Amino acid sequence: MKDILTLLRPRYLAIIRQNLSMKKLIGMSFFAGIGMIIWSIIFYVSYRVLTYFKHAENIGDFLSYKLLSMILLTLFSLLIFSAILTALSKLFLSNDLGLVHGLPVASEAIFISRWIESTFDSSWMMLLYTAPAFIAFGIVFDGSFLYYFFVLFSLLLMAIIACGLSSLIIIPIVLILPATRIRSVFVFFGLGMFVLLYVGFRIMQPEKLVNPEGFASIMLYLRTISMPSTPLIPCTWVFDTLKSALEKQYIDTVFHTGLLFSFSSALICLNVIIARWIYFAGYSKSQTAQSRLIEGNNQIIYRLTNKISGPVRAVLIKEVKTFWRDQTQWSQLFLIAALIVIYLYNFSVLPFDQSPMKAYYIENLFSFLNIALAAFVLTAIGARFVFPSISHEGMSFWIIQSSPISIKTYLWIKWLGYLIPLLILSELLIITTNILLHVNPFMKILSVITMLCITPGVVATGIGLGAAYPDFKSENPTQTVTGFGGLMYMFCSSAFFGSVVLLETGPVYIFFKNHFQISFLTNTDILFIVINLLLALLICVMMLFIPMKFGERRLTQTIQNKSQKDKNAVSIQKIEKLSSDPTPETRKGILLSRVNMIKSGNANRYPAMKVFEEIRSCY
Amino acid sequence: MIKLINLSKQFGNHTAINNVHLTVNAGEIFGFIGPNGAGKTTTIQIMAGLLLPSSGNVLLSDISMNDHPVKAKQLVGYIPDRPFIYEKLTGIEYLRFIGDFYHVSETDFKTRSQELLVQFALMDRRNELIEAYSHGMKQRLIMASALLHDPPIIIVDEPMVGLDPVAIKLVRDIFQQRSAQGTTIFMSTHTLTLAEQICNRVGIIHKGQLIATGTIDELKASAKKGTNNLEDIFFQLTIESTKNE
Repeated sequence: MKDILTLLRPRYLAIIRQNLSMKKLIGMSFFAGIGMIIWSIIFYVSYRVLTYFKHAENIGDFLSYKLLSMILLTLFSLLIFSAILTALSKLFLSNDLGLVHGLPVASEAIFISRWIESTFDSSWMMLLYTAPAFIAFGIVFDGSFLYYFFVLFSLLLMAIIACGLSSLIIIPIVLILPATRIRSVFVFFGLGMFVLLYVGFRIMQPEKLVNPEGFASIMLYLRTISMPSTPLIPCTWVFDTLKSALEKQYIDTVFHTGLLFSFSSALICLNVIIARWIYFAGYSKSQTAQSRLIEGNNQIIYRLTNKISGPVRAVLIKEVKTFWRDQTQWSQLFLIAALIVIYLYNFSVLPFDQSPMKAYYIENLFSFLNIALAAFVLTAIGARFVFPSISHEGMSFWIIQSSPISIKTYLWIKWLGYLIPLLILSELLIITTNILLHVNPFMKILSVITMLCITPGVVATGIGLGAAYPDFKSENPTQTVTGFGGLMYMFCSSAFFGSVVLLETGPVYIFFKNHFQISFLTNTDILFIVINLLLALLICVMMLFIPMKFGERRLTQTIQNKSQKDKNAVSIQKIEKLSSDPTPETRKGILLSRVNMIKSGNANRYPAMKVFEEIRSCY
Repeated sequence: MIKLINLSKQFGNHTAINNVHLTVNAGEIFGFIGPNGAGKTTTIQIMAGLLLPSSGNVLLSDISMNDHPVKAKQLVGYIPDRPFIYEKLTGIEYLRFIGDFYHVSETDFKTRSQELLVQFALMDRRNELIEAYSHGMKQRLIMASALLHDPPIIIVDEPMVGLDPVAIKLVRDIFQQRSAQGTTIFMSTHTLTLAEQICNRVGIIHKGQLIATGTIDELKASAKKGTNNLEDIFFQLTIESTKNE
């Protein structure tokens, strides 16, 4: 037990010793605000839906319980999927595992500590965001205090069961397949399922359910929703626990909670026994680097680009190859492709014919608004791919620094590399939606030209701010977008395309007034149109150069001041004091956690001098 | 030829290197030795164009790294102490990537890359992703890439870290051959025996200051009696320098 706590200590220390700068606090507050808004929306929607169901005579409770059962089944599936990915990383792929396995600690102790971490990491967010739905159930069904207690307890047990089942699945598989491959397989499998479900759900057009004609076979419907779920899956036990708690039949509640508790305890024991036998063998196997042979070496790409200047070709080919060989990028592409399909599909099913206004007005109005929407999609894609592209260089950035190209040239090459695909994508998006909306030629030309002018600026903002706020040490550079720099990028890019669209509003309004002969173009109108369009163009040109210049300057400064920052960061850390007379066990614990933390890459949280002083004080 | 002219670098209040003034002649192998944190890597990073000096200048074949960094970097083959490279490229793709930066022609690339891959025993693994390479293999690949454009100046930070004895001998021989052909090699190392074996001259840096330069014989002559090798000289000079503060 002592070893497990010691192994968990670095994680605890890393949390409490976070160096919260003002930038970080602002970023955290912003995301916490967004989180709270989402939480409130989930609560509001759940509450409204349940209240609506409650008022439906005869079938109201059936519907509510069916919804509860569906929420629990979905939550349980997501928990298992998330736990598989997290446990794979924690148990087999973490950087510090090499050091931890070298310590005189039993492998099951390492397993348990990692398993606890992965259970927490894989479930906290999902439980937090499903909590409002369960609270809504409690309010609508007038649940007592005990209901909320059982919600908390049964969901915790469900998370433990999901993680227990996940580790039981992955430990034997790691013995057969390399851990990195399993991760990719599960990511693909999971995302594939998600995309299929999402696309399938959207194409089913659930909005038709509100149409009374959809309730033709009510008996069949009732029979379907009142069918009980299979009693062999843990989420059914959670469902039974919550249902009986809502109905205040507490003996049943205790029985079902008991089922959950005994099953989760048995799973933990089984995991520990299996871990004792094969966890280390699996870890050892996962350390064998997989060798991937790239046959043929893609000579075509080099031949096609042999007219391009050396450095441009070097960076472009490197970007393309590293991008396509990184499976984590594919999964994101997969998601974005699905979202774009849905986006386009939504335009194709917009019910303009049912609108009380003339379809021509609405279609052209939508086309204009669609410019902003397409620019937002572009910004979101940029946040995922363009902004982190500088941080993706990681510790290999020295190659660019020592190469005979300037930072400025390097940034512009990167810009070019991302501009081409994003320009094609944004134009395709706007042209396809225009075709689906049957807009007039003026709007078609305007939207195509606007996207042509906006895209270079959005890409430049992504590259420039990505260079201004890089994180070369991050294990997952994609996450840099959740930091201050990412926030700035989203804000600047949105402000940029928002202002361009706003400047175009006047000219578009005048054009349509003229088109429908409500009024005729005057000289003032023409001047107004020209000034607005010129201003929009000026903003586009400015947004092309200013972020790039800013990024170049900041990146150069960052490189120069990196060592200084590291030193300063160390000096302001507050280090926990040790007890004056540590016992041998505590001594072992301290040493273990210090070494563990240093190895896990958070060494900058520990000034070296302090570490040595503390270690010396132990003896 | 390399000239470090009154080179200083400060990180806030901390002086990493202080007024380092040094000339390394063409075809010379210069060993740069010093304790941990003495300023070796900072000096080398300034020379390779990775850092800007707070004051002073670096001239590589009379081209200023401060004023014309792109031109100066064309002359350099830089080998860092830690082999961080693009893991998703293959060995041969990485060489081509570096070759493109230095405008190595297609014909030259084919000949030189083959030669270097054979020389550094990477030919059989050239089509594998770098992520499957060992530490030593990555280090050898970086060395091969640094020699690809046949640079007149090689700047190396701890060349032997992570290399096996065969590779160490190979690198030693390559440096000596290149030096005989006129390449200037600036090398920081902790392996004092290596410095003693292959360096024409050595410089000892301590707490950011260059405290001694010269051939091994010159340093021995200036040291106290009983100092037989570079290791003795190194300890004597660094300890004395600390005592004098």
